[in-house]
Amino acid sequence: MSQRIANIGEAVVSAARAAAELWMVYISTLAGIWRAITRRKAGRGRPKGELVRQLHAIGNRSLIFIVVTLGFIGMVMTYEACLQLSRVTGDYSQVGPQYIRLVISDFGPTLTAMMLATRVGAGIAAEIGSMKVTEQVDALRMSGVLPIDYLIVPRFIASVVMTLLLSTVACLVMYGAGGLTAHYSFGVNLNLFFDVQLVRMRHVVMMIVKAVSYGAAIPVVAGFCGLRARGSSEGVGWATTAAVIGSSFAVIVLDFAISAAALFVTGGDL
Amino acid sequence: MILDPVFEALGAAALRIAQEVGGIVVMTAQVVRALVPPRIDRRELVKQLYKMGNRSVPIVVLTAFFAGGLMTLQTGPFVKKLGATALAGWGAGYAVLREIGPILIALMFSGRVGANNTAELATMTVTEQLDGLRALAIDPVRFLIVPRVIAMLVMLVALTVIGDLVALTGASVVGRAMLDIEWSTMFHSFADNLRPYDFLHGVYKSIAFGGAIAVSSCYFGVTVRGGAVGVGRAVNAAVVAAATSIMLLDFFLTYLTG
Amino acid sequence: MTAIRLHDVHKRFGADHVLAGVSLDVAPGHKLGLIGPAASGKSVLLKLVCGLDQPDRGEIEVLGQSVVGKRESELGELRQRIGMLFQNYALFDFLPVAGNVAFPLEQRGGLAADVIAQRVAARLRAVGLAGSEDKLTGELSGGMKKRVGIARATVADAEIVIYDEPTAGLDPVTTQKIYDLLAEDHARTGATVLAVSSDVVALAKFVDEIAFLYRGHIVYRGPAATIVDAPDPLVRQFVRGELDGPLAEARP
Repeated sequence: MSQRIANIGEAVVSAARAAAELWMVYISTLAGIWRAITRRKAGRGRPKGELVRQLHAIGNRSLIFIVVTLGFIGMVMTYEACLQLSRVTGDYSQVGPQYIRLVISDFGPTLTAMMLATRVGAGIAAEIGSMKVTEQVDALRMSGVLPIDYLIVPRFIASVVMTLLLSTVACLVMYGAGGLTAHYSFGVNLNLFFDVQLVRMRHVVMMIVKAVSYGAAIPVVAGFCGLRARGSSEGVGWATTAAVIGSSFAVIVLDFAISAAALFVTGGDL
Repeated sequence: MILDPVFEALGAAALRIAQEVGGIVVMTAQVVRALVPPRIDRRELVKQLYKMGNRSVPIVVLTAFFAGGLMTLQTGPFVKKLGATALAGWGAGYAVLREIGPILIALMFSGRVGANNTAELATMTVTEQLDGLRALAIDPVRFLIVPRVIAMLVMLVALTVIGDLVALTGASVVGRAMLDIEWSTMFHSFADNLRPYDFLHGVYKSIAFGGAIAVSSCYFGVTVRGGAVGVGRAVNAAVVAAATSIMLLDFFLTYLTG
Repeated sequence: MTAIRLHDVHKRFGADHVLAGVSLDVAPGHKLGLIGPAASGKSVLLKLVCGLDQPDRGEIEVLGQSVVGKRESELGELRQRIGMLFQNYALFDFLPVAGNVAFPLEQRGGLAADVIAQRVAARLRAVGLAGSEDKLTGELSGGMKKRVGIARATVADAEIVIYDEPTAGLDPVTTQKIYDLLAEDHARTGATVLAVSSDVVALAKFVDEIAFLYRGHIVYRGPAATIVDAPDPLVRQFVRGELDGPLAEARP
């Protein structure tokens, strides 16, 4: 029994230590961005096209994936909502307005980020992890390069920008797909569905805050896992797994925290 | 023609996806064939069940708790404003049992267990252990893959059941803590508005998700090429394939079973 | 002033006390070889010298500056005066050969692009890879990767050069060619050299002195020319590859 308690205690301590290290990586990333902006020495030497390459890797190549997955989930959500309503009230007038409110303030950015956490999180951890186990990260350090500046900062900037853009695309896709579903499966009038009367500025703000937070969290968590990879192929496998789980979980926790904070600030009016 | 590069890229992507889908179908057939007659290495099966379950329970429980709470946060204020607090559980619970629960748990499972499984099989392939097994006249499909597929399927269903319950708990906790909705109100609204079929609907989905995650994770594990870099790429591909299949399957299952 | 100075350095990985009080001095321009059984901590020691890892205890000074307890950003400048060849080459697989060799020069800053290109071409010629500028790491054989690694380690004419297994896995003729190359570089730059190798005989022809790392301590240090007849029985047995003797690793 006491062994079990010791195990739990050990797990908590190592989790706390990992959290502290993760926080340090986040702060260092921000410092790296600051250095890059003010063009101080440590930021020099990154291949010129790196930021563009990252934007392309994270954005362009995820576009189809996001459109497909979120289109489908949008259809499913609308279908379920209409199905429930058909059982209870049969009144579909509120479906469209409520749906778009939820999509903008929550499901759009969050589901996009969940999908990106798998695709982009795994990719970043795999790339950085395999560099770490083949000692390329050490080789970078030997040339006076800071791994965080060189590897994580471009991905950070690209991820924040792309998550925001992709979330916007996702909202549009989900809205459109939802409308088509409601119309063809339940006969809901398209004009009735595509009604944005309930959308307020605060919903758009929430979307932006969430998308930016998620976009910031994913590369930091994934980069952190990549830099901690050890051993050879198993190390890379472990790093990729940890990155996917860590970033997905971070997205959920951030979603909860931001939604709760918003509830608090607006006094219960979401 | 100016669109030629676009068509080329689309064509290449389509071919690649077709190849992957084909490979996965072939592997599914191999797994099914190995199950008839069921001569499975029982020790390996138990080992996998234990490993996968053990590893994933904490993260799934935590995720489910937060997800349930989140649903309450989204639907609760709306319900409260209408004065229909009796329906509070309905809003959150329905979404959780039919959609959010199975999907989110499947995604987390894919990330935790699926990715890990791919990494293990990929490492084994890269270090030629699979060839070693074949040289010993042991069929890798029967020995390695089938136990893992069964274990993942069973585990995901179990985890979905557990996760659903935890999510409902999370929904109630958040309801009580942040929206002042009483436990009994929530509990009654669950009991009154949620049918057993809603629960089972989620479970059916988890069987499909489990199968998709299991087979794709094994497929990408054993078709890995290259060294450490290849392993990372295999895990990436497996996770993306699993996420896509989950969404697609969800769509088809929802429409088919209504 | 010594170029590299270690004093009572300890490093432990879990229960494994890899370095248990290592003290070593290397004078500027001197060539020191480091040998020892597998996993005896040779690569660990090299990493500690570069500040890539921190010792649990002890002092390490390189070119007069301590590398213990320093942050990453503080070590950058010192590291640019050290060239390192990694055991597994650690070539950047996202850059072609020219990019790899040019990397230390580009990071240093202050050099025009064509000057860098010239020096890269000269280095590649010296290692026998002229014309390979645009090749990617995936297209290279093991020996070629090693040579690119050497080119990258020596392109900046560093004051200290560290070679971790420069000839492992190479045939005897290539091995000799590599050591000839390393000797030429040393004659030209007068850099301090620290080299780890399991091929003791070939190593002995290149370095001035050899140190033997065993069970976490430097148990012997003597001239390379007479290493095969070293006074210490442990060293003699190891170098000659004999199974009879005090060496623990030789017992079944």
